[in-house]
Amino acid sequence: MVNRQLALRVVVALVQPCPVQCNSADAHSLLQQRFRTKTYINLRSEEGNPPDMATTNHYAFDRVIPDSRQNASAGSGAFGNYNLSACFYDEMFHSDGSLRGATRSLGAALANADASQLAQVQEGVVRRFVHEGITFTVLREGKTSEQIIPIDCVPRLLSGAEWNLVDLGLRQRLTALNLFLHDIYGDGKCLRDGVVPYELVLGCPQYRVEMRGVKVPSAVYVSICGTDIIRTHDGFAVLEDNLRVPSGVSYMLACRGAMKQAIPRLYRAHTVREVAHYPQHLYTTLASLSQRSDNPRVAVLTPGRYNAAYYEHAFLAGEMGAELVEGRDLVVHDATVFVRSVLGLRRIDVIYRRVDDGFLDPVTFRSDSLLGVAGLFHAYRAGNVVIANAPGTGVADDKALYSYVPDIIRYFLAEEPILANVTTHLCRTREGLAYTLEHLDQLVVKEVGGSGGYGMLIGPHSTASERSEFATRIRAYPADYIAQPVLDLSRAACFIDGHLEPRHVDVRSFVLRGRDVSWVAPGGLCRVALRKGSLVVNSSQGGGCKDFWVLANSEDLQ
Amino acid sequence: MMLARAAADFYWMARYIERAENTARLLENQLTGLVDTSIEELAVGWRVLYRVLGQSVSVAPAPMGEAEAYLMADAYTLAATLMEDAHNPDSILQCWTRARDNAMQLRPWLPVRVWTCMNQGFLWLRECDYTASWAEGPSVLPAEVINRLRLLAGVIHARMPRDNAWYFMELGRYVERLQRQAALLDIWTGTVEEVPLSWTSLLRVCTAYEAYCRLYSMVVRPDQALEYLVRNPELPRSLRFATRRIQHALSEIDPTGARYPLAPPHRFVLRLAAEIESDSMVEANPLEGDALFSNFLKESLALHDLIVAEYVAYPINKGLPS
Repeated sequence: MVNRQLALRVVVALVQPCPVQCNSADAHSLLQQRFRTKTYINLRSEEGNPPDMATTNHYAFDRVIPDSRQNASAGSGAFGNYNLSACFYDEMFHSDGSLRGATRSLGAALANADASQLAQVQEGVVRRFVHEGITFTVLREGKTSEQIIPIDCVPRLLSGAEWNLVDLGLRQRLTALNLFLHDIYGDGKCLRDGVVPYELVLGCPQYRVEMRGVKVPSAVYVSICGTDIIRTHDGFAVLEDNLRVPSGVSYMLACRGAMKQAIPRLYRAHTVREVAHYPQHLYTTLASLSQRSDNPRVAVLTPGRYNAAYYEHAFLAGEMGAELVEGRDLVVHDATVFVRSVLGLRRIDVIYRRVDDGFLDPVTFRSDSLLGVAGLFHAYRAGNVVIANAPGTGVADDKALYSYVPDIIRYFLAEEPILANVTTHLCRTREGLAYTLEHLDQLVVKEVGGSGGYGMLIGPHSTASERSEFATRIRAYPADYIAQPVLDLSRAACFIDGHLEPRHVDVRSFVLRGRDVSWVAPGGLCRVALRKGSLVVNSSQGGGCKDFWVLANSEDLQ
Repeated sequence: MMLARAAADFYWMARYIERAENTARLLENQLTGLVDTSIEELAVGWRVLYRVLGQSVSVAPAPMGEAEAYLMADAYTLAATLMEDAHNPDSILQCWTRARDNAMQLRPWLPVRVWTCMNQGFLWLRECDYTASWAEGPSVLPAEVINRLRLLAGVIHARMPRDNAWYFMELGRYVERLQRQAALLDIWTGTVEEVPLSWTSLLRVCTAYEAYCRLYSMVVRPDQALEYLVRNPELPRSLRFATRRIQHALSEIDPTGARYPLAPPHRFVLRLAAEIESDSMVEANPLEGDALFSNFLKESLALHDLIVAEYVAYPINKGLPS
């Protein structure tokens, strides 16, 4: 009742003439004009009927009001070219072609839309990305160019109940990995107990001996974690953890912003869990690690504007109200880090570094680094500055160590892992090497230190000569390779060349961990292999992204 | 707290925007004249325009007496060099590109709307078909550039908080304006051309003609025009106006430096203000080719160096907290 009265007062205030200060002659003509052209608020058109929404709404697609009573299925309406395959889990349809529970509304809306309407939405989303300069930098033939990250306008949906399980699994995983890092840079108990082989950890190029004995604030080595999750018929599984400088979160937020604008009604109708608070949570996480409790000064350390993820660095710094600094902006004096301001040097308390370990400090790590700050590690060791993520965390996201993460969870938490791992064959072991070489045509072989979809062999899509070349390399350096089965990544509906077609997807989730604070973004960056049949979702390899809606309710997709 | 590098980026962004606008206004004025100005005046106009911008003419303007077709072709080439030449660091496209580069570094500090407006303008200019625009009318493109720059200026004015970022932009804008206006007055008072330079054109280029007519008369007298463009405190393109805005911006950025002992940039800008007040500057006979403003131009260039040395590239020991 109170709300209705309030709404009524607002409406009355809106229709009452506003006491605008203006010249009296102008006011007279303005009033005349206003009444002549009927510019006062009127929700009805001249004939007394509601205005035709079909001709007034900008986004035609979004007018298709989702109606769960409508029947839609694969092969109907806009899904005319949608080919379901029993081999792959489909995010929208059951294997019989009927819509899954939570996707019923979205599916019905999509089925009733025609190609031109969908194209309009797609164009609107892309235009927004172009105008706002949501780009990543690509280096080709020595030249850098800005590229818009390809985006698909059809969101992927997940029910709240399913996400809750993923959320728990992510928290569990990060807790265990932090304990593991604390242990290997401290007592090394898990190494002595044989949970993880010594040589795997100590021989890892990402293991930083300089971190031995360093007192890390609250023992939180990894504050920001990006975990890639896939889905198959067997359920969710972790593909890899990114514990150094995980990127992609700004694209997640940009996708969400664009979709809210493009299909506002559908978005509202779905009660999607909000991810827009990520920067606030990130700031809270980083600030919680500082020794100074009163308004610590946080900075994002970027390699500079030619870095592929510069947009993200600038975006996060802006959203957090933090300083975006490059190495040349920082100075270390008396084991304290300062930033050059216009009126002198000012102290920095927390550095969210987006620079790889090796480049952080030319005194401690790579002497040829121009991106870091001389003396930074010394200040870190003295406890005068927090670096997040801590140097040396890369050892825990090594592709070979990945296969030991379930054991690490069991060892440190005495729990069974909630999220499964993908079966991984370590070529460093005799059995793993033999199996890999024997089944090279059926496996995906990855370099242990590789990333971005480079340096890998996809067995079923490879030629005999490629396999032979890889076999030679694997035999020469077995410890540098792992092998995994070809994953049947789930597929989601995408708008491709005027049709809705299924494409393989995964999701990069983001987990934050500070001193007594922890947060999992309810959603993530859904990465899409836009090329038909491709399983590679990396943006550098023809992949794109789409919005990922985690519903607020616990409605089961099944 | 204002990061020194960010301050430099704000400063330079504003300078490039101002520079692009200045070039666009000069170009628009020259290209509008293609319709009814004599060939001799046009040739002088191109020469002056390039000299004002501190550049040499890339293609020699058609000599007097040559066919009009050549003149139009020259105008097309000369205007293109200033408009879209990727190799000319002061072309409008290059200025916009550099301003956008600065803006890109400033994204954490820039309101989204400002960045979007800047980016949209850049995309438009980059994709723009110069030949097709020329076919619509030679001055259409510079006029559109001016419109887009004004839109950007409006968005900046409406969206930017009046903090240090704003004042560094003010500093960049008015340092650039001071230099460009000094160069313009230097040419007008220090050049003897075959055809006398029009003071009406100068007032038009400085968007001051209507205001001048209201204040003085429609008959433009060189001494009054000079007095107006140098000393008028209300004209946005007068030297006095620019100097005052620089003083104000400096005192907002560094209030301590505005008190005695004055910081070097504060002291220097006061000296510039004093020179503007001195009688010698407006008592020069503009028709006799007095090169009065050369020295002022050099000093305004030195002001930039002082600002950078004081707030951006200062020695570390000077910046340590006490």
